[in-house]
Amino acid sequence: MTSGSASYFDGVTSARHDVVVELGPGALHIRAHDGTMIGEWPYAELEHLAAPADVLRLGRARSPVLARLEVRDPALAAAIDERAHTVDRSGAGERRMRVRAIGWTFGATISLVLVAVFGLPALSDRIAPLIPLSVEHKLGLAVDAQVRAMLNPGGAARPFECGEGEAGRPGRAALDRLVGRLERAAALPIPLRIAVVRRREANAIALPGGHIYVFQGLVERARSADELAGVLAHEIGHVAHRDGTRSVLQSAGLSFLFGMLLGDFTGGGVVVIAAKTVVQSAYSREVEASADRYAVALMGRIGGDARALAAILQRIAGPGEPGIRILLDHPQAKDRAAAIDAAAAAAAAVTPQPLLAPAEWAALKRICG
Amino acid sequence: MIAAQSFRFRPGLPMNRDQASAAASAGPAASAGAAVRFVGEPRAYWRLLVRGAVLLALTLGIYRFWFATDLRRFLWSNTEIAGNTLEYSGTALELVIGFLIAIALLVPVYVGFFVLALNLGPAGQFVSVLGFPVLAFLGHFAVYRARRYRLSRTIYRGLRCHQTGSAWRYAVCALFWWTLILLTFGLAYPFAQARLERYKMRHTYYGDLGGRFEGSGLRLFLRGLPMWFMVVGPLLVAVAVAVSIDWGAVIAAGRQAESAADFAARLEGASSFFALMVIAIAAVGASLVAAALLFPVFQAMVLRWWISGIRFGGLSLRSRLRTGQVYAAYLRFLWYGLLLLLALAALGVVTFLGFGLVSGATGQSELTEIMGAAAAVGLYVAAMLGFSTLYQGTVKLALWRCGMESAEIEGAAVLAHVRAAGTSSSAVGEGLADALNVGGI
Repeated sequence: MTSGSASYFDGVTSARHDVVVELGPGALHIRAHDGTMIGEWPYAELEHLAAPADVLRLGRARSPVLARLEVRDPALAAAIDERAHTVDRSGAGERRMRVRAIGWTFGATISLVLVAVFGLPALSDRIAPLIPLSVEHKLGLAVDAQVRAMLNPGGAARPFECGEGEAGRPGRAALDRLVGRLERAAALPIPLRIAVVRRREANAIALPGGHIYVFQGLVERARSADELAGVLAHEIGHVAHRDGTRSVLQSAGLSFLFGMLLGDFTGGGVVVIAAKTVVQSAYSREVEASADRYAVALMGRIGGDARALAAILQRIAGPGEPGIRILLDHPQAKDRAAAIDAAAAAAAAVTPQPLLAPAEWAALKRICG
Repeated sequence: MIAAQSFRFRPGLPMNRDQASAAASAGPAASAGAAVRFVGEPRAYWRLLVRGAVLLALTLGIYRFWFATDLRRFLWSNTEIAGNTLEYSGTALELVIGFLIAIALLVPVYVGFFVLALNLGPAGQFVSVLGFPVLAFLGHFAVYRARRYRLSRTIYRGLRCHQTGSAWRYAVCALFWWTLILLTFGLAYPFAQARLERYKMRHTYYGDLGGRFEGSGLRLFLRGLPMWFMVVGPLLVAVAVAVSIDWGAVIAAGRQAESAADFAARLEGASSFFALMVIAIAAVGASLVAAALLFPVFQAMVLRWWISGIRFGGLSLRSRLRTGQVYAAYLRFLWYGLLLLLALAALGVVTFLGFGLVSGATGQSELTEIMGAAAAVGLYVAAMLGFSTLYQGTVKLALWRCGMESAEIEGAAVLAHVRAAGTSSSAVGEGLADALNVGGI
């Protein structure tokens, strides 16, 4: 029978016992040097524990007492390894388990990414219509405060919103007339609140709860009331589709998925941000296209020129729009313009009439003074 | 400070040491200076780090449970105290389950914040201000509970360590002291550390042998004070200088000025303004340089102070950690980091030249753009994970090894009579710490 010396800790006190280990037919026999039997550990119950490379550390599986046997003698360790299948000195079993664990983590990663790409948009599409308008209104107020704080550089002598003072009043009246026509045709469940604000960029944004901000830069670059109306109709499309609420739901879901479940490693932050950006722009490309289709239909209903939206889009984008396409919120202006023109051509039955009289349009152009 | 922090929260090391070395096992109490050794192969540790980094990137971080468990197993089982090594008995699965439970507990908290923010309307943006102390509190709570888990998975000579005490109380104390640290520009740090460490060690046990902490906050304060002056002093000068400038006149001149020369002409006493600005910027620069140069000194000082304050019954520790060892670790990190940076820069140039050629030949297609974006993100992740790996392989490993090996033990005789006590505790604290991003190794 093979035997050798080892260190033994009984799991009750910290005293170390120098013992002799004998390899019996079905179990390890642990004896003190004077021959007294200390313990008998069946091979099937041995547990191989973490230890330095030159030590074989054994415990008893499922035992509440943490008795430990430490073998430094390589020959004895090899003999135990041969008899007990739970002892895995080569690490082959550990590697197998590890490969399985890695396989499962890959599976989990892929599943979570699929949830982010397909599950979340589907979920937010279903949930957004169920959210009561009163809640959307509150959400709008909260988002509105933040967006205003972000947009408004502050410190300027004039108010942030155009059309407040005496000089802007005719412009404001013209805007209200234009918005009124669009709003009646759109028949939205919530009232619109549209303002022109002093920002250089040619842009407009829609928030949850019916807030639409048109930037001064856009009004300046619009060449007709129809162009401005086209952009407004596009933003009204966002309100009608409740895109603001959907995007709040989606970004909350994405933050949870990527921020909490995944990406808690160094450098993970940017992966999370990149993943969110890519996934969100993929959502919003579809969202923008559908708002464009809404705008074409709405412009058709009020007898405006739906092609004007395509014209202003292309003018704002300028030739050869730079940047990386998948990271752009809006699909490329050229593609969008082509889609809008095609939809407008299919819908156009009557010749469009200008939406505002020349004098009114001139007043609207001067809304920011 | 971050690194020192996470090192200290790391294990709740059972610094207990047993008297007899393997050679003198027959002898009763060993004399002073029983050995602590680190027997791990750095090469094996690097292998774990590199494999872990690759898998972390590929699994978007889900692999972290296995990674942390691997690292701990390695560090614990290669730390030999008087001839016997520690054992880490935790498993990755425990961490996964702890994390899932923590998520289940945190989701209602986050949903609560969201609903509250929504209900308050425009005032809702202040909810995040309110949320910060709540999350900080939970973070400290998690740190204490995570320490409890790690201790209860630390086994030495067949007995486990454990931790009692209330995580709620600890979190209240920690929040109070960290507020004080912020309010005193760091001057309260030594007292906070002494106080919090006393609480932790008073509730730390190896078997039935209770620990305590005897490091004095005042001593750390007095030792650290010169460093504080060197770092914060220049900042105070900068603030004083900035306050003395008549900003109203400067802004008015800036509004009217057409050019830099015009600005100087309009501003009365422009030369003194420029001189003051130069002084303020130089002071801030001096403060930053001092902070960078002194950080290893600070870290070594705190580590030495912390180890030397640990007691278990009649056993006491004393650290002879040399500041030069910590500097050496940081220099190695900087050197490797420089090499990594050069390698990544070369890789980046080659990649983007390649993309330039491809898109030049075929025109801008959506596919090349997607691949370009993916390559940029991939390079960034490689850089971040690379630096983190280098940091863990140089600085963190060196701090662990030098901290251990510099420790001397007196009165190790008490370790011969320790009896088993305590049970294993759950990994929910670890999961919370993970979800709140306050976990260390």
